[in-house]
Order: sequence, then structure tokens, then C-alpha cells
Amino acid sequence: MDYQIKNDGGSAQVVFSGDITFSENVSFRQLLKDISQQDVSNCEFDLSGVDMVDSAGLGMFLIAREQAETSGWKLTVSGAQGHVASMLKLTKLSDLLDG
Amino acid sequence: MTSRIASNEAENKELMHSVFGARILVVDDMALMRQMIGMCLSRGGYTDVLFANDGDEALKMVESEAPDILVLDLNMPRVSGYEVCRTLRGDPRHEDLPILVQSASETPEERVEVFAVGATDFVSKPINQPELLARVRMHLENRLLINSLSNFRERMQSELVMARDMQQSLLPEPAMIGEVEQKSRMKVESFYRASFELGGDLWGCWPLPGDRLGLFVLDIAGHGVSAALNTFRVHATMARFTRARVDPARFLTELNAVLAPSFPLGQFATMFYAVVNHKTGHMVYSGAGAPKPMVVSKRGVRLLDSTGVPVGIIKKPDYFNIEDKLEPDESLFCYSDVLIEAPLPDGSMLGEDGFIGWVEEEAQKPDRKRLVSRLLHRFFETQPTSLPDDLTAVAIHPNRKGAS
Repeated sequence: MDYQIKNDGGSAQVVFSGDITFSENVSFRQLLKDISQQDVSNCEFDLSGVDMVDSAGLGMFLIAREQAETSGWKLTVSGAQGHVASMLKLTKLSDLLDG
Repeated sequence: MTSRIASNEAENKELMHSVFGARILVVDDMALMRQMIGMCLSRGGYTDVLFANDGDEALKMVESEAPDILVLDLNMPRVSGYEVCRTLRGDPRHEDLPILVQSASETPEERVEVFAVGATDFVSKPINQPELLARVRMHLENRLLINSLSNFRERMQSELVMARDMQQSLLPEPAMIGEVEQKSRMKVESFYRASFELGGDLWGCWPLPGDRLGLFVLDIAGHGVSAALNTFRVHATMARFTRARVDPARFLTELNAVLAPSFPLGQFATMFYAVVNHKTGHMVYSGAGAPKPMVVSKRGVRLLDSTGVPVGIIKKPDYFNIEDKLEPDESLFCYSDVLIEAPLPDGSMLGEDGFIGWVEEEAQKPDRKRLVSRLLHRFFETQPTSLPDDLTAVAIHPNRKGAS
């Protein structure tokens, strides 16, 4: 998994690429730390470059959602396709993450 | 933080105590050298120094005195230092014993040979006392640290094996499967393997009143110890809901109500639970985000809709029942996501569509009751020995002519 944070003054976008799996646990937590250190009101996770997400990866999105709620920014997820889109749909996390 | 530093200090103290209490065997044919090295070591704080006059005596003392390190002269009558090294390294019991060689004639060729016969390190004569002490201490520390690490590893390993056996006991016992098979006249075919010693997958089946059986599969996010501990929690919780077992949506709802408050953030279980009437084929099921189970026959594969919020995330996930019917020639097949997500040799993943293709091909072959085993055989041909995630695959096959 790789990611790039674009911060457009209060509105951030994180562009992911590669696979988001169990082994990315540490870098994902680092990412959340990076976001919370920047002063953002909303953040979009762009998943259009992600080929695969496993259940642990989905768990990390839930952690992100919780962190967004506690630190007062809004999380949106966009661009999921293929396996990632069907995983989000199967687990209804697509509704949860945008709700 | 403070206690961690304190415990590090305590560990260091203990290590130093062990280093200076280590047994050192000094091997030299010259009495003067033995005396000098012995004095150097005892001034350096070592309390247990033994001496051998030649290689032969050294080998005997290694057996009788079990020293922690050898300080070994090379050129000795009868058995030379080289010979001592070769003999010790040829014996698996002594292959890790540190051997510090000391020699006066120091050519590059000799150094090569010293290491080739198995010496750990080299000090040149005349002995430089601080250097000798530094090297002895370094090799003793290494040896003690390696020993304590491998002891720790061994202990962890045996604990994990014990835990794995305990976890294995969460899966349905052969007697339970036998009872289900006998009552339902169906064949239960299953496979389970954890990616690590411990896993986060679980499946189960049980007979139910009214010619029915219940079958569930679940996968706790992640794997390893934390996921495994949660399988125990889920299993224990499930055992309490015997009355809800006839109603899949209610079963998932009750399970979720208990687990949602206790599961840590980011952890959850994807799940599927079905109740099948084995006389009529009538099936009721409810999904919580498990991979879509397949209904398999020679006519092809139908996917069941297992869409649903995984267990353990939100308070009210609104699980609902879906009704279906297993025809007399249809098998129900459930599996965990590693089958479609594990990377293939070319780096791609099989995906749901690719896996459906496999299942359709295998379903055409005779002996459906070995569907799971044939699919896994095919899957393992694409995989290295270790899997990236836990694997569960369960099928119930009808015992009717159309499926055999």
C-alpha cells in the first residue's frame, strides 16, 4: 500500500494505491496520525488505485471513521472499483463509511 | 516507562552476573601462557576458569566440565587446536560453543584455516589483555542472549501448539458431524487451516428440530493471536443462543448484541448462517458480509446474498432472513475469503468470478462429495506452503443420485 496526502486548505484527499491488507496496519495508523496533525475538516479516501482490500483492511477504514468522529472531521470514500467495491458492498461498509 | 527501564536494568544485571559466572576453559601447552591468560581473566572478574594442557585433555574436559567458552592455543603436541575445532564442530552438541583461538604465527592463510575449521574468533599472541577480555565477554554475551532467545522461542512455540489444539476443539467434533450426517442423510465436507498457529476462522454445524440442520462460517478480521482469542469469545457466546438457532437473522442479531460492545475497534466477524430442511430442501439464511456462499450442481453455480454488516461493528445491523431451496442435486458450499484473495503465482488474485469458474468445472466431475478437497488441491497448487490468511471451506452435499 502506498498513499499520498493532498491538503487543499482544510479539505484533504488521500490517494491510495496497491493492496490494503493486514500487513499495512502500521502504515495505516501512521497515515491517520498524519491526517489528524493537519487541520482538516473533511478528508476523502480515493480508492480508485486500490486493487484489493481484505477484512483487516476494512477494519482500518472503521478505525479511520472512528478517528474522524472523535477529531471532528468528515470521512468520505470514493473511487472503489472491482474487488474493493464488492467488499464494501458485501459488508455494507459503503453505507457506514459515507453515513 | 520507569518500570520498563528498571526491568531492563535488572535484566542487564542478571546478564552480567551470568557472563562473569561463565565457565572458561583455557587450553595451552605452555604453563606460562595458561597462567597469564588465567590471571588476565580473573582480574577481569571471571570466577570459573579451568585449564587444559593439550587438545586431548581439552576435548575430555569439554565433555566432563561443559565450559561456556574455549580460549584455545593452535600449536600443541598430540592433538592440535585445529583438530579440537574440527572435532567439536563435528558434534551437534558443541556446534554453538564459542571458540576463541589464540596464536603467535599469524599469516592470512592461517586466519582462513582457523575460521574454516570452525573457530568463532581470533586473538593474536602476544596476548593484548583488554582485547582478550573484550572478545571473551562479547562471545559469552552473545551465547547467553542466543540461549535465552531460543529458550523463549521454544516456550512460545509450545504455548502456541497448546493454544492451537484448544482452538481446534472449537470446531465441530467428528461425533457432532456424524450426528448431523446421520440425521440429515447429507455429507458434510470441511477443511480448516490457520495461516499462523492460531487463526480467526471458525465454522460449525448442528442438528435442529423439524428435520433441519444449522451451518455457519465466520471469519474474524485479521489473523493470529488477537483474532484467535476472539474466536473463543464468539464460540462461547454462540453456545448461549440455542433457542435462536432456528432463526438465522435472530441468531446473528443476538450474537451482534453481545459482541458489538466488547469487540475492539476495527475488529469484527464476517459471517453466514443457514438453516436447511434436509427433507424439503427449504433453506433460510442470513448474511453478515461473509463471501457469498455457492449453491452448486452440474447445472452451474448460484450465489447466495450474504450482504450484511459484519458482526461486532454497530448496535443495530438489521439482519434479515432470505428464503431459498436446495434442489435434490444441489450442494451448499461456504468458504473464507483467502480462496479468492490470495495472490496467484503471477501476482494476480483469483477473485470471485475466477473461483466460480473453478467450482463450475469441478462440479461437472463425478464424486461431488469431494468437491472441497478437489478445489483445495487446485488452490494449493497455486500457493506457497504458508497462506496469507486462514482458510475454511465447508460444503454439505445431498446423498442423492443426482449429486454423486
